[in-house]
Amino acid sequence: MIEFRNVSYSYDPAAAAKAPDAGDAQADWGNSPDELWALRDVSFTLNDGEFFGIAGHTGSGKSTLVQHMNGLVAPTSGTVFVDGVDISDKHAASRVRANVGLVFQYPEHQLFASSVFDDVAFGPRNMGCPEEDMERIVREALQTVDLDFDAVRARSPFELSGGQQRRVAFAGVLAMHPRTLILDEPAAGLDPEGRRELLALVRRLHGDMGVTVVMISHSMDDLAVMADRILVLNQGSVWALGAPAEVFADAQACKSIGLDVPAPQRFANVLKERGVALPQPAGGLFTRESLVEAIAAAYRGRR
Amino acid sequence: MARSIIFGRYSPGKSPIHRMDPRLKLTAVLVAMVVILMSNTYPALAVAAAFVIGFYFVARIPASTALKSIAPLLFIVVLTALLNLFFVQGGTVYAQLGPLVISQEGVHFAIFLSLRLTLLLCMASLLTLTTTTLDLTDALEAMLKPFARFGFPAHEFAMVMGIALRFLPQFADELHTIRQAQLSRGAKITANPFKGGLSGLSSLMVPLFTSAFRHAETLSAGMDARCYHGGSGRTRLDPLTFTRLDVAGLVAIAAMAVCVVAAGMFHM
Ligand SMILES: Nc1ncnc2c1ncn2[C@@H]1O[C@H](COP(=O)(O)OP(=O)(O)OP(=O)(O)O)[C@@H](O)[C@H]1O
Ligand SMILES: [Mg+2]
Repeated sequence: MIEFRNVSYSYDPAAAAKAPDAGDAQADWGNSPDELWALRDVSFTLNDGEFFGIAGHTGSGKSTLVQHMNGLVAPTSGTVFVDGVDISDKHAASRVRANVGLVFQYPEHQLFASSVFDDVAFGPRNMGCPEEDMERIVREALQTVDLDFDAVRARSPFELSGGQQRRVAFAGVLAMHPRTLILDEPAAGLDPEGRRELLALVRRLHGDMGVTVVMISHSMDDLAVMADRILVLNQGSVWALGAPAEVFADAQACKSIGLDVPAPQRFANVLKERGVALPQPAGGLFTRESLVEAIAAAYRGRR
Repeated sequence: MARSIIFGRYSPGKSPIHRMDPRLKLTAVLVAMVVILMSNTYPALAVAAAFVIGFYFVARIPASTALKSIAPLLFIVVLTALLNLFFVQGGTVYAQLGPLVISQEGVHFAIFLSLRLTLLLCMASLLTLTTTTLDLTDALEAMLKPFARFGFPAHEFAMVMGIALRFLPQFADELHTIRQAQLSRGAKITANPFKGGLSGLSSLMVPLFTSAFRHAETLSAGMDARCYHGGSGRTRLDPLTFTRLDVAGLVAIAAMAVCVVAAGMFHM
């Protein structure tokens, strides 16, 4: 369980200390580049076993927010608790890192070892896992991301394709067996096929292995179908937090902060404007299947 | 750690110093640096410092920005100070610890040289803080032009400098991200080779270098795509011109030189 209590963060704490309160936002939309506060008074609780989505316009503070979750950055004011422990302390933060795995945007850019094996083993070795278990740990991690252990173990990560590199980087975090996995735009820059496979992997991790997942994404379609709850940031403040159906209920409001609603819902909204109202299921219209069903229901209802 | 204002990053502004002709500014800064190098008494240094502070004031760059911009290079100052402290001998001996002797001369040189070096850094930093890389490159190219006659690749050299300056802040940012990522995987990043520091360092340096190569490839592809073919026949959208502002700059630098030399003689 990770709890944020009134967390504000500034990349320039000295200047922020002199400036007025963190609470007031002034830009119309988006953050100005020299905006003082990257996060303003953020409070929420992440439950164990949850699939938690994070959305928001570019520069809204998503990446900054998730870096608080394993103590990489400490709040300028407010507190982050992981399992009830305040992690502003350096030692507490480094203990938490074994449990909270963070996969950065473009994680393949952080590969460095001369072989895939050594790169994946980097995390477990840092945590002090015994060397005789290493082969098993790395094998399992690579299997989880659908890479053939024997084929890639000795290869240089730089010889692999971009998509494979990303899987290796993923495996490097999974090998630490985190209970909470944080993904910063995991599918960015992949082709549609790679994207589908990666999201399927994330789903598997959450569903079969019971990992708590936090996923940042610019794709509302993905978030709406995958996430239990979605946190929407706007200029560093929490703009909405709730089930996808609640968050995307007001398409106009979403648009005003630069957010799209998922495509099927958007389709239904346009139909409604043109005078064809579809029945709105309680769970929201977030998949093609539910859209088809709604259209079919409307059609049957007319006859 | 914030996206720091590192050495070489431009700080936008409209002050007279920002608007000076870059060629002249580069020359002026070089002259000022020579003047600082030649000031070898405390009064001369004090006058030079007054001028440097004055320049920063005119450029409207706050002291905090100025200090932050040279902070990463202060280790050179500290190193110089320590070397002088221990290796320059003469005058009264203040303390002795085995082979290490701290003497009056040593202390004097340590303080004096670090002050002078700090001033030099401030002056160099003023140039990059108030000049865009593009202008700086052009200035450098203009100054190296005469040597092109002897086969010196003036344009290419300036271009290389410009690109290097352009990517410094970028690499600082990337290094920061890579560091965060490896810390997340429990890396212990220290320079201490006995604590596994080396693997920690390679986990930073290898990604940084691969990213440098990646940038180099995209950059060269991008330049090719826009028909970059070197310096010959290239023209500027806004040709550089000298203005009254530049005369004022020249006068200021001349005043600095005279005052510093005068202050130096006054002490003798
Ligand atoms: N290292 C840094 N130093 C200073 N400011 C930063 C730094 N990183 C981010 N910021 C600023 O903090 C704010 C939030 O940035 P953040 O990277 O968290 O946004 P984001 O929501 O992840 O955006 P994106 O969708 O583009 O990844 C932005 O205004 C950004 O300019
Ligand atoms: Mg981001």
